[in-house]
Amino acid sequence: MKLRKITAITLAGAMAAATLGMTAMAADTDWKSFKIDPAQIPQEKLDTTISVACSIRGLENPYINTIKVGMEMFCEYLDSIGQKYEMQVLDSGGSNDTEINNMKQFAAKANGNAIAYSDPNESAICTSLVEAMAESGGYIGTAWNREEEDTVEDYNPNWVIHTSPDNVANGKAIASALFDQMGGKGQILVVEGMLGNTANNDRVKGLEEALAEYPDIEVAAQDTANWATADALTLVETWLNQYPDVGGIWCANDNMATGAMQALENAGLLGKVGVVGIDANNDVVDAIKAGNATATVSSNGYLQGGYTLAICYAAWAGLIDPEELPLEYREFATPATVITSENVDEYIASYIDATPEFDFSEIFWCKAD
Amino acid sequence: MAKENQAALTIQEEFAKKIKAENRREKVIRWAPVLVLVALIIFFTIARGTAFASVSNLVAVLNQWSIPLLVALGLTFVIMLGSIDLSIDGTVGMAGSIASVLVMNTLNGNNFGIFGIIAAILCSVAVGFVIGLIHVKLKVPSFMVTFAFQNICIGIAYITYSGTPATVMDPLLKALPKASFLGIPFITWVALIMLALCIYIQEFTPFGRHIYAVGTDETIPRSVGINVDLVKIKVFTFAGFLFGVAGVVGMIRLGQGQAGIGKDLMFPAQAAVVIGGTSLAGGKGGVINTVVGTLIMTVLINGLTMMGVDPNIKTGIQGIIILVAVILTIKRGATVISK
Repeated sequence: MKLRKITAITLAGAMAAATLGMTAMAADTDWKSFKIDPAQIPQEKLDTTISVACSIRGLENPYINTIKVGMEMFCEYLDSIGQKYEMQVLDSGGSNDTEINNMKQFAAKANGNAIAYSDPNESAICTSLVEAMAESGGYIGTAWNREEEDTVEDYNPNWVIHTSPDNVANGKAIASALFDQMGGKGQILVVEGMLGNTANNDRVKGLEEALAEYPDIEVAAQDTANWATADALTLVETWLNQYPDVGGIWCANDNMATGAMQALENAGLLGKVGVVGIDANNDVVDAIKAGNATATVSSNGYLQGGYTLAICYAAWAGLIDPEELPLEYREFATPATVITSENVDEYIASYIDATPEFDFSEIFWCKAD
Repeated sequence: MAKENQAALTIQEEFAKKIKAENRREKVIRWAPVLVLVALIIFFTIARGTAFASVSNLVAVLNQWSIPLLVALGLTFVIMLGSIDLSIDGTVGMAGSIASVLVMNTLNGNNFGIFGIIAAILCSVAVGFVIGLIHVKLKVPSFMVTFAFQNICIGIAYITYSGTPATVMDPLLKALPKASFLGIPFITWVALIMLALCIYIQEFTPFGRHIYAVGTDETIPRSVGINVDLVKIKVFTFAGFLFGVAGVVGMIRLGQGQAGIGKDLMFPAQAAVVIGGTSLAGGKGGVINTVVGTLIMTVLINGLTMMGVDPNIKTGIQGIIILVAVILTIKRGATVISK
């Protein structure tokens, strides 16, 4: 197995060097610096209208909205290299069936000339989405949710990549930031997302890892607010009567951090109690700047949406063969930025006041390490 | 003749006895919701002591009670008709979202102040009116029309802020969640004023009596010339008004407008109305019952949160207590259970 992998890497390297005229190393291709060279794309591919889609849960969440914007940015790149395309948002509204049906219709219509980013509504439907695309011969990249036993190699070459920000690491990073601000001791409140969701479980796992490193931090209360602002407000409002001396509130996402801050505001404690979340929603980033929140994490939806499509595009255009890519370039973590008072100005300048710019020709720039 | 008389008397007496017994039972049932509420309060006070029975938690309970009360008041009249309203989650979220983008906010340059709030409530009133109109004129069951409008209104809410919820910047609106008068939070006052309005409508206006009449058997008011269709449209429109107020209050409380303000309000509201003793069959119950029903639901959730019940089993426990409350309080023996 290992031997096969090595052969594959060597082969891929050799092929890339031969066909693309890249400056490849003798045995090991430097995939990290692989660059799309538009001159290598056959004219007939450029003249074919490729269908581009992102399959998402709905646009009510600011983070998910950035994925759509990432797709639009990538399409601008397609324009710049003269590729014909059609762009579409597949909105599942949080329904498994709708997401699968959307993908089936999208793939069938495009007849193989399709690439898609998909955030499976639940882990269980990940392979159903991939299958829908594989049947038509299109290329798909998934993010966040999949069953543990699923691997992209089961659907060669159509399931190009699966990526996810590292939820455990992010949950731990915001917890550590919070505990440091509290001086390493005191009580915290824990507001979880929907129980059983992969993202929530992993983030809580990260929190528990941090708790193990800070023995003087005590969890006063822990409950779920179902990812929702209003639920988090009610929860924290109730808890504050019971634990008025709490030093920090750990939330599994920013929507709930907003609710927690509102409860603190009503109790006259805003700015005195640390709050952390994940997603880098604008209002939480602003709160960090104002000193009312401690930390959040940007998963960079622009990057997730745009680069997933860029890698799928390279596969469709024949510039890379997914089967020859080493597994670490098909299943990897995308970078996340922990935002605290130290770097919040920089973040606001480049991500909120301006839309970030990406060079989508360097397709593996989105790999975290 | 004398014999006949005696027989009649016996029947009369028997009837009177039966009525008396029924009245007694009715009294018990009438007070059952209050007893459930008192039992919950005593239980949580013993279990959590000063934290539960503190002034600050009382204020928290009043805050948490306001929106469910507003929503359930609107729903009470609809249920008294024998109809149902599933639009709540949508209309409340829509009104809150629209209000947030019309007052001073982080998303755009609008600053319509009170007019923005009135406009948002009017949108919800309009939705209630259209629901009533479609239900009555096109004879679509209220269940279906209102469910459709739940989705339509959530959609409208999403469109208003397209991905990034607007945070309220209006200094007055920002100060309101903290404001109180006589120790009672501002948003609770709003709910109490609406409660007074509902009691007035129910007890002192012909419209209030017509709602009972239509809910009991709509052929009777129809035969005496009451415009039954108009009564129904008015009820749905008024419910829309209260849902709109709830949405605006939700926005003020959250400091932000988003579709999530209305999320998961509907079924707890239905439960609160039924626990309060208003019959799903229509024609019975009323506003005061709903006050008790919503208080039971709010105290229950507040108390369970304080108890620190494992979140994995909390929802289940909540369900069991709701079930017990309904069994204790619902009026049994009716021939029609629901329609």
